[in-house]
Amino acid sequence: MRLYLVRHGKAEFGMEDDAGRHLSPRGRYDVDMIGQHLAAQDLPVKRILHSGLVRAHETAEILAMHLAPKVEPELLTGIEPWGDVKAFAQLAETWNEPTIVCGHEPFMGSAVSQLVTGKPGNDIVEVKTGSVMALSRSKWGANWILRWMINPRVVRGPKTMED
Amino acid sequence: MKLYLVQHAEALSKAENPERPLSQKGVADALRMAAFLDMAGIGVDEVIHSGKKRAEETANILANAVWPGNSTLEMDGLKPNDSTDHLLHAAETAGGDILVVGHLPFMEKMVARLLTGAEDGMQIGFEPGAVVCVERDETDATRWRLNWMLRPSMLSNA
Repeated sequence: MRLYLVRHGKAEFGMEDDAGRHLSPRGRYDVDMIGQHLAAQDLPVKRILHSGLVRAHETAEILAMHLAPKVEPELLTGIEPWGDVKAFAQLAETWNEPTIVCGHEPFMGSAVSQLVTGKPGNDIVEVKTGSVMALSRSKWGANWILRWMINPRVVRGPKTMED
Repeated sequence: MKLYLVQHAEALSKAENPERPLSQKGVADALRMAAFLDMAGIGVDEVIHSGKKRAEETANILANAVWPGNSTLEMDGLKPNDSTDHLLHAAETAGGDILVVGHLPFMEKMVARLLTGAEDGMQIGFEPGAVVCVERDETDATRWRLNWMLRPSMLSNA
């Protein structure tokens, strides 16, 4: 069982309606580059989930286009920036199909820590916007294995576009 | 400060060659990783290896991309079953970025120790030629976070 945890790309600035913030042009470009990179690997993605915030939904749509055009991204509640990480980890244990989950910080970093080390607060990853972390369920222990992690900076090279 | 922890690329077996140089696939994987690091604009201040042929060859190929024009250095304390104490100390006090090529199980224990404080604190899906980039906290040299991790199988031949 593969799980791909994603933090949304860079979003537009805006104070009034946080949930309604769209990806910025650079955020779209970054997620597009990540999607292109991963498309070359033929990931067997069967489900794509996203939080109720627009920037995570837009990130999911771009990844779906590259990785699984037939998969319709679905809303998953409980993975908002301050969602319940342990409840999410329990839910993920019940999944059997390769799944992408698009969400936020600090939730995603905490979720990786929970799944890989068994504790949500270990702070083991620096989750920049557009990062993707690939996990698989361990055959030996209760925790998940961290398989790889990429971010836009390493996929596209040094910054080429301003916000 | 960033530390790049690398498992040597695929090597020949002892039966094929007692010195265990890289296999043809190992060389190709290391070259692909070097091209990727070059494209990503990554440079370091030092490239070190365990002294074993497969680690030295991997280090030399990657150094062409991230530390061009310099000779890689052999360091003690990077053998497959060495203690992680030596490299941990070097990493906590280092002034510049370092790329280190070594072996399993050492590299897996090192990554887990840096990120969680315990050698068995997490499982990392290494494969030959994989590169793990961890970054030291700017104010607390004992705290490290994972930035990215790439395996040669994730890189296209382009």
